[in-house]
Amino acid sequence: MTWCWFALVDQAPAGLLASTAVHDLDGQRRGVLAAWPAGERPRPDAARLDARVLDPQGPRMAVSLVLPPPGVQVLFDDPTVVGAVKAALAGPAPDFVSTLSVDASHFGGAVSGVAEPWPGWWSDDPFARVFPARRLWADAGMFGQTAPPAGPVHQRYGPTPWPVEGFTSQ
Amino acid sequence: MNPALEPGRLFPDLELTDHSGNRRTLSALAAGDPLVVHCYRGWFCPKERAFFARLCQFQQELEVAYSRLVSVSVEPPEVQAAFRAGLDARWTFLSDADRTALVQLDLQESTDTVHDPYLPTVFTLYPDRTIHRIYNGYWFWGRPTMEELRQDLRQISAAVRDDWEGPQA
Repeated sequence: MTWCWFALVDQAPAGLLASTAVHDLDGQRRGVLAAWPAGERPRPDAARLDARVLDPQGPRMAVSLVLPPPGVQVLFDDPTVVGAVKAALAGPAPDFVSTLSVDASHFGGAVSGVAEPWPGWWSDDPFARVFPARRLWADAGMFGQTAPPAGPVHQRYGPTPWPVEGFTSQ
Repeated sequence: MNPALEPGRLFPDLELTDHSGNRRTLSALAAGDPLVVHCYRGWFCPKERAFFARLCQFQQELEVAYSRLVSVSVEPPEVQAAFRAGLDARWTFLSDADRTALVQLDLQESTDTVHDPYLPTVFTLYPDRTIHRIYNGYWFWGRPTMEELRQDLRQISAAVRDDWEGPQA
């Protein structure tokens, strides 16, 4: 499995690959990050996520979650998105990062995280240039450390979210 | 150079530490795409800096062409990370600080006894790491031009992309 479905929901439904409660920096609960197996889209706002970022043994993570405002669509090929991916490749690698793909053409946001955020980490999320980022803490048990994207390719392979590689992964 | 390294033979699936400190294999970094493996002396060499300037321009093509580039040296990861950031390079650098891969590939440049670096060498590989071409860059003019890399990657891509001719109704 190279990708899975992902969404921010109010309560964790059944049939998930993984989920975790998220809180804002003031400790207010802001919902649940949920991941479903690849297959039929589980809900209209679900987007594809690089499944390698999931780790049931993973620690509590500082998470930057970038989602498009309701009704807003941006193409993956939009220069702002391309620029954000380039910046993600050039900058310090977080513990995990994945864009979110709505389909083969549309950017659905991005999620990245670090177990030990450095000063200004949330401010450095290049995908926050595209849409506003939510600054969250995710409980342990969902995200793990992954190797940084290999680069220099910033293109996605069909509908799979960057940095999932390979046309065979669809 | 190791005599097993010749066109048509398989390049070893090196496992080294990347510029961020993660263990990486060439096969994982290639991820099904054509791969350029670039063994270089180090940041200190003016020839390398001149060649990297070309590669940094070339990455604007690689990054949209489903092709990969990896640079390998004996520098420690933190030195590579600083060099990479200064170059604005967006590909992976691999550190062979203990020179295990250098010995395996038999690519030690014997004339530099200060750094014991790699003999500058560029390999163009198929996604399965079959060697397409090798460029010995000891003399700067032995290195591939970007046009030669384009031609290599075009030939490899044409061979491995089933839809090279484009989908037709």
